[in-house]
Amino acid sequence: MNSIIKLEIQKKVFKKKGLSILNDFELEVERGERLSIIGESGVGKTSLLNIIGLLDTKYQGSYNLFGSSVKDLSQNKLAEWRNQKIGFVLQESALINSLTIEDNIKLPLMYANIEKDQTVQEHFKRIINKIGIEPILKKKPLECSGGQRSRAVFARAVIMNPQLILSDEPTASLDLENKEKIINLLFDMNKEFNTTVITVTHDLDLANRHERIITLERNE
Amino acid sequence: MRILQFFITRIFLKRWILVLGMILLLFLANYLSFTTARSIISTYQGYQEMETLNQEGTFIANLDPDSEADFGKFKIDDTQKVYEYLNNNYTYALRADGFVTPLDNKHNMEVSFNYINEEAYKLNQFKLSQGNQLTFNYNFNKEKIPVLVGAGLATTYPVGSNIEITDPVTQQLVNLKVQGVLKKNTRRSNFYAPNSKNYFNFSIFIPVNEKFIQSAGLDLHVNSLMDIALLDSTKEKSMNLKEHIQENLGLEFNFFSQQENFNYFEDYYVNSLKIICTITFILLIIIVCLATWNTLVSIRLMIKDFTINLLVGLSYSKLRAIFYSYFGILFSINLAILFVITAFDRYGFWLRKDSTFATYGIFGLISKDWIALLIVLFIDFIIGFTIVELTIKKIKSIPISVGVLK
Repeated sequence: MNSIIKLEIQKKVFKKKGLSILNDFELEVERGERLSIIGESGVGKTSLLNIIGLLDTKYQGSYNLFGSSVKDLSQNKLAEWRNQKIGFVLQESALINSLTIEDNIKLPLMYANIEKDQTVQEHFKRIINKIGIEPILKKKPLECSGGQRSRAVFARAVIMNPQLILSDEPTASLDLENKEKIINLLFDMNKEFNTTVITVTHDLDLANRHERIITLERNE
Repeated sequence: MRILQFFITRIFLKRWILVLGMILLLFLANYLSFTTARSIISTYQGYQEMETLNQEGTFIANLDPDSEADFGKFKIDDTQKVYEYLNNNYTYALRADGFVTPLDNKHNMEVSFNYINEEAYKLNQFKLSQGNQLTFNYNFNKEKIPVLVGAGLATTYPVGSNIEITDPVTQQLVNLKVQGVLKKNTRRSNFYAPNSKNYFNFSIFIPVNEKFIQSAGLDLHVNSLMDIALLDSTKEKSMNLKEHIQENLGLEFNFFSQQENFNYFEDYYVNSLKIICTITFILLIIIVCLATWNTLVSIRLMIKDFTINLLVGLSYSKLRAIFYSYFGILFSINLAILFVITAFDRYGFWLRKDSTFATYGIFGLISKDWIALLIVLFIDFIIGFTIVELTIKKIKSIPISVGVLK
């Protein structure tokens, strides 16, 4: 067993809404595993992704990621891990509209301060070629199609070669062709680099293409 | 630095109207703090000068506002009588400023002749950059008159040089000998408006003794009476002088004691300063609230951009540093604008050849301007801290979630 995620949540409370979700939830994920999370709206799928992705640390429970207890990590360390170890594949709207596609993709490189690195430049070119978005690099997101934007979001998620990819409804607004492209890119990463992939989706077809499916249910 | 540059050029400036609004609000706050701080400093400087006269037994003349004065009717014999009476019965400080006279100088400025007697000179304690203090025991019409010149005249009229000129108050050709040079920006505050100053960079100080007064014309006699200060006197003696002036010139003077002057300052200036400070404080609070509101509106508009940045590696501590740097830049821009406006304002006096207000300073600004700028800088720190911490608190209250990006 080579677990990279060991998560035990007693509960996650939303004080304003008076809501408690993910009660007594446990999750263990191995390196290179492809896991999908499904469930009705409001059961806590996105909240779970926020917790796994180190965006939310306000819950009761314990979380070990890459062998370290998340509770012991400083805010700066969490940001560093989000930058270097985790990639977020989100919907096509998750781009900064005032930046070009290239700048959007290179955003994580700026935070890692490796933009000018020659190896990184080559890695960037390889990814761009593979994803096929070279022609739109100088365009702004609103000048691109939904499929192109989705691929740009994907490129940004993998530019740092993360160990863990978290994807939230990555194909929600895409046509069949673009949906397939994104799914293939996701699984190619998994095969090529043994990257762990966790996908939150309503799409059962997409969920079924993962090795394991977790269904979240509403607390009684 | 790269991240800061990125945020400024790619995030903040994309909503330039909000940035411009913020700059205007902060400039308003800076300008308000600057003018108030400078006014307080200037009033305090004036008060310190007034304090030299706030001594037991000192009574300062002030023409009653209801006194009907027909200056055309005065005769020199009448004013002579008043000064004879003064010389025989009182110790008094006399000075009369602002007799503008054409006199060549390097800067082509108007030169003002200021007349001062020994008692007033002792009270003022002018500091010199060169030469010696004034002497008053010269023989008018027979000897050269020792004078002090302002710093602006020092090159044209250095210590030891002579100036031959028709004196504006005696209308006689006099020979002045430069005995000393006043320090740069030597000034005098108005007794009744302590924040108002006259600078003596282009002035010549002429020592006045009894013989000089006897030779002087009505202008000096009447003008000097307006600010004359009786020293080592009593209320009764000041009343006698008041009656004497009224009999001879028909002018009604009030003679205010040290305590009365102090009360006047307390009632009028301290209270008005308190009001100015309170209004400034309230306006600053309003401006800070508007600036904070402006920032929070910006945050709402940019929350998606912030969330994406937080997802890919931005931390709250970096974000805080970005905001502090951003506001630091905005405040620096405003301080630079304030500096340029003030420097240009000071330079304007030189351009207009206004010798009363032409001053010397580092990059054109005099000490009270620099102190006021330092106070503004301190206030900027407080405003910046308030806005940034409220902004970070607001951003932190919005949970970072991939849900924001759906």
